[in-house]
Amino acid sequence: MEMTKARFTQTDLAKYPFLKETAMLVKQLDLKIEELTNPDIAAILNRAEERVREAIMSLSVGEKREADVEIPSFPVALLLVINTKNSFIKKRYALAEAKQAFVDMQTESSEKILLIARDFDWNIELTRFSTMPLEFAISFTDYLRNTTHLRDKKWKLVNRLLVNGKVYLNKQDVARLLQEEVQRRIEKRLEVTELPVLPEKIAEITKRLLELAKEKIGQEEMEGLPKVVTQSAFPPCILALYEAASKGRHLSHVGRFTLTSFLVNIGMPPEKVAELFKSFSDYNERLTRYQIEHIAGERGSRTRYTPPRCVTLQTHGVCVNPDVLCRRVSHPLSYYKRKQKQLSSNLPKSN
Amino acid sequence: MASRDFVYKKFSEFYSSPSTVIPKISMIGQREIGFLLFKEHVMLRHKSFESTSSLKRFLGETVPSDVYHSCAYYENPEAEMNKKIWLGADLVFDIDADHIPTPCNKIHDEWTCNKCGFGGKGVTPDACPICGGQKFETKTWACELCLKTAKEETAKLLNILEQDFGFSLQELHVFFSGHRGYHVQIEKETIKTLDAMARKEIVDYVSGLGLAILEDETKDNTRRQRHKISFSLHDFGWHKRLKLGLQNFVMNATKDDLNNAGVKVNYKVFSENREILLKRCIEENRWSSVRGIGITTWKKLAKHVKDLESAKIDTVVTTDIHRLIRMNGTLHGKTGLLKVGFPANRLENFDPLKEAVAFKEGTAKISVSEAPEFRLGDDTLGPYKNQTVELPTAAAVLLICKGRAEVVQ
Repeated sequence: MEMTKARFTQTDLAKYPFLKETAMLVKQLDLKIEELTNPDIAAILNRAEERVREAIMSLSVGEKREADVEIPSFPVALLLVINTKNSFIKKRYALAEAKQAFVDMQTESSEKILLIARDFDWNIELTRFSTMPLEFAISFTDYLRNTTHLRDKKWKLVNRLLVNGKVYLNKQDVARLLQEEVQRRIEKRLEVTELPVLPEKIAEITKRLLELAKEKIGQEEMEGLPKVVTQSAFPPCILALYEAASKGRHLSHVGRFTLTSFLVNIGMPPEKVAELFKSFSDYNERLTRYQIEHIAGERGSRTRYTPPRCVTLQTHGVCVNPDVLCRRVSHPLSYYKRKQKQLSSNLPKSN
Repeated sequence: MASRDFVYKKFSEFYSSPSTVIPKISMIGQREIGFLLFKEHVMLRHKSFESTSSLKRFLGETVPSDVYHSCAYYENPEAEMNKKIWLGADLVFDIDADHIPTPCNKIHDEWTCNKCGFGGKGVTPDACPICGGQKFETKTWACELCLKTAKEETAKLLNILEQDFGFSLQELHVFFSGHRGYHVQIEKETIKTLDAMARKEIVDYVSGLGLAILEDETKDNTRRQRHKISFSLHDFGWHKRLKLGLQNFVMNATKDDLNNAGVKVNYKVFSENREILLKRCIEENRWSSVRGIGITTWKKLAKHVKDLESAKIDTVVTTDIHRLIRMNGTLHGKTGLLKVGFPANRLENFDPLKEAVAFKEGTAKISVSEAPEFRLGDDTLGPYKNQTVELPTAAAVLLICKGRAEVVQ
């Protein structure tokens, strides 16, 4: 096995704050929870909130700062996420950090990749001096632990170079598997249920984050949507799209995505949604099915997509004939949920 | 009834004898032990033993027809299933002639429909041809061909586990099951905690299932297109196995072999061009080098080779992380033969019908309804039809257990 002299630098630890070494570093900093609201370290708390906010909004973690802020902001962000007690935010945050790590790792040196992988106790080595066409060799058990839920056939062990217990991979594939490890490690750290008493300011942030999450996925998702699809509760934009689709009129890409993701999220089965697109002149059953299942989170990244928020729909010209209720919501799914409630409780309609 | 009493007595003598040794089982205290009881014919489960010697005492007192242990290790092996707390499991493979097509076509097996009583010989059908019933009474037999086929499959499995998965021969514990199959068991820290999904991937690998190279087209998710898979073999993993298999096929294939592979190729063209097929096509990946033998043919041949090279294992056993498996050194209730372990490198010369014999002394007088010619130990016996014979104890127990004979008092 090749010995490697590479070590993690301060910059690395800031880039990959989930590493064991970072945790130790943070411990040395001896950050006290009561001090979090201290203006001197406000930058840390701000960055922590930003991490979570960006994760909720765009599955990223925002722009990196100086190491002395960046490194401690990660455990603080974990604290914020745990405090929301919200499984959507937890999942989304772990995924966002993992995805960011995946992007960053792809440009790292092979030695660094090795170092990160060993932080997860992988049995991994470089094959540089052997005749193997791929650079990394990892034990098949480490490989299986991180690929069995990836859907693409290329991840099946049978389609891999497996020789003498080692799976041979290129850098990008190793980074992709490490993404899974990162996500799992963070999810594990978010499993904590008992938290110390937190300052008032943290409670405020938590509230803000929960609001944001509701906005992002629509309040309905958080509270659970009723399973019946009520067409009369569709917001005007969706109704317009729905009618256009039923008549086979052309829809823009954003329009199709909005309609599909909306219908999938309110519980319409993908087969039903596919039927709606049948009258399109460019209809392709296989492709349509694929796209719908992708949006429904049954394929690919396994994330179920939600429709864009109202502001985005406005930008793309999808928002039409807004009514009174529209003014009180910022997301088509929120509209649907509220309208449905109104309809079922026979309250006077707000429009 | 006298016959069952006879077998019971023999099993009892075996388990009570001081010379019987149950081989050591690793971490036995952490495993669930189960028994099939002779008399009541019920399964006794969720038992636990500190050592094989305390287990042996129990076997002498209870005399089960079959003994099993879990491949899994538990915090509380005696607790009910959801309270056991799973700690890990050995990786096990089961190869059973029951699940493999054999050259004998199981002509020695008999089946009778439970519903209408119609019956026949050979492989048990999915549904009764007369009444459509789906439950059958079967009388199986383990002929030399069945055992040979199972052994060949085991050899392929061992090869894959050694070459591709990197297990050493010492880590591969091989057993004859006591009936018509083999077990391969791996106890290793690194594989213990693999979940069912990971084990399924191992099963798929061993079976060659999902090999992308053999598919006709693939989906490119990023470009949202399908495109033809380019057929090109490299020298690692399954590709290497396919390559070697194709070479072997091209060198040796007869006209019949080509037909069996399902390809329509002029045999004369094929046999006159073996050199080119080997060198240009297989070695250099230039698959269209011989007119009349194109990429479609090669893919068909590769699929055929995959079927030949993959190991036919019972997929359920490997993926079940709570599985009970027959215990080494115990008797098989359907044969009176032992499950016996042996070093992996002895597989080729291992003789199950000799080394699994438990009852080595005495004879017994039995009346045989029907039995094909068979070998047990050094004796070749039968065939018998409606006759009374005096046979070595092991052979008598085998025929009685197989439902083909009754003891004569």
